[in-house]
Formats: sequence, C-alpha cells, structure tokens
Amino acid sequence: MRVSLNWLKEYVNLDGISVEDLAHRMTMLGLEIEAIEEPGAEIQQVYVGEILSIEPHPDADKIVVCKTNTGGPEALQICCGAKNMKVGDKVPTAIVGATLPGGFAIGRRKMRGIESEGMMCSGKELGLGDDHAGLLILPPDFPVGADAKPLLGLDDVIFEIEVTPNRGDWASMIGVARELAAYYNRPLSIPATPLNESAEAITGLTSVCIENPELCGRYLGRVMKNVQVGPSPQWLQSRLQAAGQRPINNVVDITNFVLLETGHPLHGFDYDLLAEHRIVVRAAKAGEKITTLDGQERPLATDMLVIADGAKTQCVAGIMGGSHSEVSENTTTVFLESAWFNPASVRKTSRALQLISESSQRFQRGADPEMAVYALERAAALMQEICGATVARGAIDQHPLPLPRKQVTLRHARCNALLGTPIDAEEQKDVLVRLGFSILVEDAASCTFHVPPRRHDVSMETDLIEEIARFHGYDRMDVSLPAVRPSAHVFAPQYQPERALRHFLIAQGLTEVFHWTFCNAQDAEKAGLAPALRDMVALENPLSEKQGTMRSSLLPGLLNHAAYNLNRGAASLAVFEVGPVYAPVWKNDLPTQELHLGMLLHGPSNGTHWSGAAKSYDFYDLKGLLEATLSHLGVDATFEPSTAGTFQPGQNASIVVGKQIVGTFGKVHLAVAKAFDIDPNLYLLELALDSLLSQAKPHGQFSAIPTFPPSKRDMAVVVDEAVPAGALAVAARAAGGSLLKSVELFDIYRSEGLGAGKKSVALNLSFQADDKTLTDNDTQKQWDKILKKLQTDYQATLR
Amino acid sequence: MKAALEALESGALDEIAGIDDLKILEESRVKYLGRNGQVTGILRGLATVSAEERPAMGQAANRVKQAIADALDAKKDTLEAAAFEKQTTAEAVDLSLPGRRPRPGHAHLIPQVADEIVDIFRELGFQVATGPDIETEYYNFDALNTPADHPARDSHDTFFVKPGVVLRTHTSPVQMRVMEKVQPPVAVVVPGRVYRVDYDASHSPMFYQFEGLLVDEGVSFADLKGTLMHFLERYFGPGHKVRFRPHFFPFTEPSAEVDISCTMCKGAGCRVCKHSGWLEVLGCGMVHPEVFKHANYDYEKYSGFAFGMGVDRLAMLRHAISSIGHLYENDLRFLEQF
Ligand SMILES: [Zn+2]
Repeated sequence: MRVSLNWLKEYVNLDGISVEDLAHRMTMLGLEIEAIEEPGAEIQQVYVGEILSIEPHPDADKIVVCKTNTGGPEALQICCGAKNMKVGDKVPTAIVGATLPGGFAIGRRKMRGIESEGMMCSGKELGLGDDHAGLLILPPDFPVGADAKPLLGLDDVIFEIEVTPNRGDWASMIGVARELAAYYNRPLSIPATPLNESAEAITGLTSVCIENPELCGRYLGRVMKNVQVGPSPQWLQSRLQAAGQRPINNVVDITNFVLLETGHPLHGFDYDLLAEHRIVVRAAKAGEKITTLDGQERPLATDMLVIADGAKTQCVAGIMGGSHSEVSENTTTVFLESAWFNPASVRKTSRALQLISESSQRFQRGADPEMAVYALERAAALMQEICGATVARGAIDQHPLPLPRKQVTLRHARCNALLGTPIDAEEQKDVLVRLGFSILVEDAASCTFHVPPRRHDVSMETDLIEEIARFHGYDRMDVSLPAVRPSAHVFAPQYQPERALRHFLIAQGLTEVFHWTFCNAQDAEKAGLAPALRDMVALENPLSEKQGTMRSSLLPGLLNHAAYNLNRGAASLAVFEVGPVYAPVWKNDLPTQELHLGMLLHGPSNGTHWSGAAKSYDFYDLKGLLEATLSHLGVDATFEPSTAGTFQPGQNASIVVGKQIVGTFGKVHLAVAKAFDIDPNLYLLELALDSLLSQAKPHGQFSAIPTFPPSKRDMAVVVDEAVPAGALAVAARAAGGSLLKSVELFDIYRSEGLGAGKKSVALNLSFQADDKTLTDNDTQKQWDKILKKLQTDYQATLR
Repeated sequence: MKAALEALESGALDEIAGIDDLKILEESRVKYLGRNGQVTGILRGLATVSAEERPAMGQAANRVKQAIADALDAKKDTLEAAAFEKQTTAEAVDLSLPGRRPRPGHAHLIPQVADEIVDIFRELGFQVATGPDIETEYYNFDALNTPADHPARDSHDTFFVKPGVVLRTHTSPVQMRVMEKVQPPVAVVVPGRVYRVDYDASHSPMFYQFEGLLVDEGVSFADLKGTLMHFLERYFGPGHKVRFRPHFFPFTEPSAEVDISCTMCKGAGCRVCKHSGWLEVLGCGMVHPEVFKHANYDYEKYSGFAFGMGVDRLAMLRHAISSIGHLYENDLRFLEQF
C-alpha cells in the first residue's frame, strides 16, 4: 500500500517528526516499510506559467513558439512540440536551470534556430502518470509564478507499506493515521460529511432485501440524483496518483478515494439500470452468469453471494461489479452501496473465480461495519460537492447481524511475565485506551476492555499483550538467556549418525550434493529404475512437468548431476548425496519417506599430476568406498549379482544385509548413459540408510594388543575362473580356526601355463596366538586344513 | 715382534688413507680388526711372548689397534659425509613443482550451515527433532492456528499431493509433532526441507528452513530476544546490529521479524538491503495459545517461543551468494568453494 505523507497529514498532525523518525516508528509498530519514495525530490524551479501567445515556428511544422509568463520580469520565449494548449492556459514551466525527474537539467537552447528559454511540461515529465500526449493544463486558479511542486503534490513522501493479513484496519489512510495518532498521542481528525439532503426520501426510490444475513451482516445505501460525470479536480487526481491509481471519472474516483481513505470498499450502480430500482442480496442461482467490469463472463455457483436487482445479478458481492449497471458518462442517478460481507465467503468466492480486487482483499481481511457508515456519508458528501449530486433524504441501513462486541480481560502480571519486561499497569491500560479499546471493569490486577469492531485480530489476552509490546517498543524490551531444561526424550535418534556418515564420506574425498527432491516419470525411466520405483508420489500442482513427482530414488538426480557438470567441463566426479526418497505407500495419512545414500564416481581418481598418469575410477573404487562406509556404520553386508536396469550386466551388484537387499551399485548401463548423454565410465550406488542408521552401534570393546608375534604365510591356489575369488577367502577364514587372525587376498594371476579358464588366487594368511609364539608346526597344521578345505570345496590345486 | 707391529701400523694407516669407498673401508676393518684380522692375530700371539715382555708388548699392540680403529672411524666419517653430499645434490627437488594434493571432499553449503546452526543451539541445550517433508494440512496449517479460511492460507504457494496432504511449507509442523509426544520442558531445533510454489532469483521451490521451539514455565519474550541475539552474534560474528520489529504469524503472538544491519554495506544502504540498511533474517514469536490448545499444553502454566529462518538466506548473506539457484544447481565449481 502506498501511503502519501501529505495525505496522512490531513488526519493527524505530524509536525516535528522527521521522515526518518516516522519511517522508523511505523516499522517498530509493525507497519513494514518496503520502500520510501520522494517522487518530486529532483524537481527544482518548475513554476506555474501562463501562456501569453502561441506563434508558428518559421522553420518547423511541428513546433510552436510561445511566450509564457512565469512571474519573472519578462515573459519567456519557449519552443514547444505540444498541441493541446491555448493562449491563457496555465502550465507547469521549467525555467533555465531547472531539473526534472531523472536529473534532467533544463538549459537555454536553440530549436531550429529559435531560442528557447525553458520547457513547458507534460504530466509524465513531472512523474505524474503516463500521460505524454500534451502539456499538463493546470487549474486556472493556480497563481502565476508559484512553485508548481507543492501545488501538484510533488513535495510528497510515499511510504510503500506491507500490511500484514491480520491488520485489515491498517489498509487505509485513516487506518495508518489512527495508529500514528495513538502512538504520538495526537488527535485523529476525520473529515466532516455535511449533506444537504433533498426532500425526496430514499424509501420512495429504492429498497434493499438481504436474503443471506450470515453472508451480509450489514448493507447501507444512498441514492444520488443529477450526478454530473466528468473529470475529477486536481487535488483528487493527485491523491489517487500518489496512491498509484489512475483517475477515471469523478464518480469512480470518489469511490476509489474513499476506499483508500477509509479502507472501506464502496460500489456505485447506475440506478436507472437496476431493474425495479431495488437491491436483493442473495446467493447466486444455479447456472447464473455475470459479465464483470473487466469484461469477462463468469459462471457463478450457488454458494456465492451476489447483489441483484429486481431481475438478475448485477455484482459479485464485495468482489467486482457487473458491466451492465456500471456507472458511465451517461449516468445521472447513482445508487451507492456500502456493506459488510462475510470475510470467509468473499475469500472463497474470490478464490473460486480467480478474481482478486482491492475490494475483495479488504473484505476478506474483515471490514469494519462502523466504517461502512462513515464511508457512505463521506462518498455522498464528495459527490454532492464534486459531481453536483442531489442526495436523497436518508440512507438505507439494514443491519440484520451486528457483530458481537468482544470483551477481553488483561492481567497486568501475565503481560509482564510473557514479555519478560516490567511494564507499568498504567502504561498497559494507556496503550489500549489510545488504540480505541474502552475499559469496562478494572481492579489492581486486571482490566477488561471492549474491543473496537475494526479489530478483528483481537479476541484474547495475548492479543492485548501484543498491542502493549508494540507500543512499548520491541527495542526497549529486556534481553535474557533462558535456562533451557532439555527434554529427556530423543526426538531424532538418526540425526547424529547421519551427520557422522556425511562427514565420514567427505573425509573420503567425496563432495556432497544437495538436490531438489522432485523427479519425473521420464527421468525415472531413462535411469532404468524398476517399475515399482517409477510409481512415484505425484504433485497436483507441480511447478512444471519436470518437477511433477517426488523422487523415488537418488539415481536420476545423480545422473542429471553428472550430465550437468560434465557438460560444464568437469574432468572427474566423486560425489555423494544423503537425502529422502518417497514412495506412494501410505501410512498414517502420509506416503513413505526413507533416507538414502547415493554415490557417483567418474574419471581420474587422483587428478592429473606431472609425476605420472592419472588412474580412473572403476568398480572396485566404488566397492571399496561402500565397504568402508559399511564398516563405518558397523554393518556386515554381502554382495550378490543384480539385474537392476541402471547398471551394466556383470558390474551390477545388490547389497545384502541380513536377508534384505538394502542397495545396488555398479557401472552405469550403456543405455542409461546414452539417455543422459554422458560418458558410460561412471559408477553409481544407492543404499537405504534407515535400517542401517537405526541399528545402534554397540560401544567398541577393547581387545588386548597381542604380545606374541604373528606368523604370516602365503597360499596360492589355482581354481576355475568361475570360482569367485572372494569365496576362497571366506572358506579360508572358516577353516583356519581361532589362530587365523586375517586373510588378505593379494593377487590374481592368469597365464597360459595355468591353462585356459583357470586363475591363480594368492592369499596372505596371518596366524597368531594370544599365549605363545607359534611354532612352524602350529602354523602348518592350520595351513594344511585351509588348503584341504579349498581343495574339497573349490577343487583348488596348490600352485 | 715390535718391528712387525710397527710395519703393520704404517701399512694399515697408509692403506686406510688411500681408501675412497665405504665398502672397501669395511673390508679393511675386517682385514685388520676382524676376528681373524692381522691385529687380532698379533694380540693372540702375545701368549707366546715371555712374561716380562708381555705387558710392554701388549700395550704396544693395543695402541696400534686403537690407532687403526681411529683411522678407520675417521675415514668412515669423511666418506659418509662425502656420500651424503653427493646424495643431497642428486635428490635436490624443484621446489616450484606442485605437490601431490589429496582431493578433499566438500560439505554442501546448506547442510554445512545447518550443522553449524544446530551446534550453536545445542550448546544452549536444544536438541534436534525432525519431521516428514510430505505433511498433512492439519500439521502444516490447522494445528498452527491457520484454519482453512485464515488469510495467511490465501497465498497460493502450497504444493498439494492430494486434498489434505501437502509438501510442508515450513518446518513448523514439527512443533506440533514434538509437543504431541511430550509435555514441557521442550527445547528443540528442526532443520529441514520445505516447499513453496515459487521460483526466481531469490526463491526456490524447495529450500531449507531451521525451526526452534522452547516451552517451559516462565519462558518470556526477553528470553526469545536473548536467544536469537546470541545466535546471530555467533553466526554472523560480532559487530552487527540486531532489530526486532512487530510482524504477524498465525502461530505466534506477539510475533516479530528480526533484521540485522546489512552485511554488505554495514547499514549505510545498498541494493542488497534495498537501501534500508537492514536485512530480514528470521521470524519468531511467543507460541500462540491456540497452538498450545492443539498440543494439550496448559497455557496458564507454560509459555514458549518459536522461531524460523531460511538456512539458504543465512548462507547467501554470509557468503555473498547472489542467487539461490547456485545452492541447488550443484555445479562443482560452486560446491568446491566451500
Ligand atoms: Zn546494504
């Protein structure tokens, strides 16, 4: 909302308060200032000039040469391209040395050989609206030679204010003025509304029938005859322009002005176009339609409140009028409506019609049924003054459902306890009284107030405490640190292990990525996700198709990440993501959410260095990171061949913990790499973390450091290619007895000598006893058992 | 025998003087002083010498042994020094060549900053709580004093999964989930993803929030001020002015927005702060009685405060990041800066 300081000063005396102090105070009262504008700040030396003569330019068709009196000793000769002025007109005139908005300086210059000593201005050149068609013709009563800036309201300051949704009563000039008057303890002056009512009573001219009082608690109206529609006076236009509105005609301008002034929306109907000249406030009928002022035809539903005449709907109540009964240049009699509509109903209708207006925004925040009365009187008085209207005697005031007057009790001690700041009981009461609350009963400890009807936001004690806090000033409130008593309940047991895991992975040289959690069917398919994972939680109103679902897997995001960064010249990728995935498996009204870990490796693992060639990431780099991660988590897992569609067959594994598959990893499938347009030498992993993180890791127990030396022996055996090398290590461990402390697979060897389809696998076996140094004989016995096991189970032969 | 000793000594010393190789020097030590060496042989021969001559001869033999040993040691030192000299020349490095750097991983800025904020509040006694990204409208709105016809629910910025189920628009629903589990005291902070239908240079449809809730007997607005001023000083460092000003949130009252003096212009006014000198960094307030009612907390007995802030915004302000897009594009050239 744009609040003009000049306008504000009509309602409250702000003398002695600088613009800076005022802005600070408004901010500290909760009137958030988004910007402060001084539209005429740069305008200097622009005066009211009177055109004395207009002569053609000898050498230019489109330019005329004027003599203009700006109050100086001699009239100025000014060349001008405008056409809309005549001799005797008064226009804003910038003399030599003047400046205009944008820092534009006026100098003496020649136009086609003729000297020009200044410039006569259009409205746009002064920052007043967009009218660039011709000069701004000033009212004839503006004194020649006077500074045009204050006369045009250009000495103003505009505060751009954001009104919070709870304070509908602030959304007007009087609303802001009332707050400042209360704070500075100065009187609020509301303009008087003198009316010379005609003898003709309104009761003979029209009637109002409210069929739905729960949606329309109050309806007021006046009839104005002999209305002369025309342009508004300069002061009214200036006010509207300062508020950012375009003047239209005096009738419309007056309703807009009163809306800005009082915050109360009015609607003017062309009385002669209302069937039977009467008003019916009712719900729309099934199948009814209306063409609104914006020219759109809109179907109405039966839960929408409308204003109808004796025949049909003329207005969507509180939102927008219909074009049929719109006030036009031909209007002579106006029926003026001022009403109170149910906020929830206006909001619902506005939403359903996707129609938001100044009026609907105010009604849905809750209007003031008292202000409805003043707004109507104010508009009638202005129409009488400006449009020459004859006001019919009396007003209609149907008030079927007065809002209950709220009473709220404030306990002074409670206020101080909640604010943690001692505020005197007298100060507490004083703030509320200044804000228009009236005291009903009081004692030393408490005070009960009547709440003014405009304050829809106040219904309980806390609401009063907030008022006291605002006026006392948040900046003057005490500061203390609470003695926090932590809760014994642990709310997020996974938080710390998850954080430790992330830092473990970062310490392994992986960079953390953090993606939007959206996905889409196409990416899921491109990534080769299983059909179950392509069934995702969908959004009803996504930002775009690309963010149409909630991700079921981290893999599509990681593949897009690879494409994004490889396209931008990244040489290698080593990243991980820890984040949620979702599935449309509903439990307790919500879809399932799980925490997953994703990893992505590609390109040189050690960067390039002058000392040697780079090594590229491969399957075993990823598997090693996975093994280290599992070990960090304290989890034992096995790996099994998988057929997951994301990965290349043969480099495609499931991660199995217990009997549960908790993840997959491998080299990206060529088809997936092609679909994402990336290099296929890329390794991906996804692991479900929830069950792994929630398995409380037991506290590590110390085991004694061995006193006796280990005995290390190698064993190389030849087996069929089909035998997994890892199986030999597992078998060795099983057969080695308690003396075997570790088995390390340290070499795989193939040669012609071994024969086709054969490989040699070398194990390093480490034996150790807790109570003695092992003899060769002790070791040999175990070594023989292991060999026998490998021979029996895998037809291994000693190499 | 004396003559033999003298010949041995001079021969050995001459020989040692001529050696320029550590290996040959070692052979020479064996030759003279080894178990079967020449000096050892002579010392063994002392047994055959008469008893009167034995002390003198023994003394002489030992002196020769010592002289040869000294010469060997001295020569060893010389040769080792020369060898080391040669090695240093051969192994001298080019200091200008780059080292072999380990490639450190980087924490993404959002969780990194969130962790930091968690730590600041954990020091004060708060603990972490979390909740689901996909929420019921009840927890996201109704339980937070924002019923269906509430003006604050007007903004069309909520992603819907189906009627009654939304992507949470703030982390505040976790307040109610926590309060439903336990009676006061409650002191939790809630980091988490939140979602709004909004996308431009300063808005992302998914962003990251940080929520806090303290409920106990006697918690006051002064406590709220103190807690957040402490936090802001820890996060932004000393020397920033902090301003609490009234605002409106349905689930707190009194409510406030908190500004700090602009991190760019130090309050003088610039484009980042829209020439106001202030930057809004968080919203907060005293927990609304209606929220306590939903949680079955006794409003007369307990009071509390809640606050919420955008981790994205806090990160962008402190690290001078111009567009929120950088945080979610995951361009490695961005990620590796932090
Ligand atoms: Zn700034």
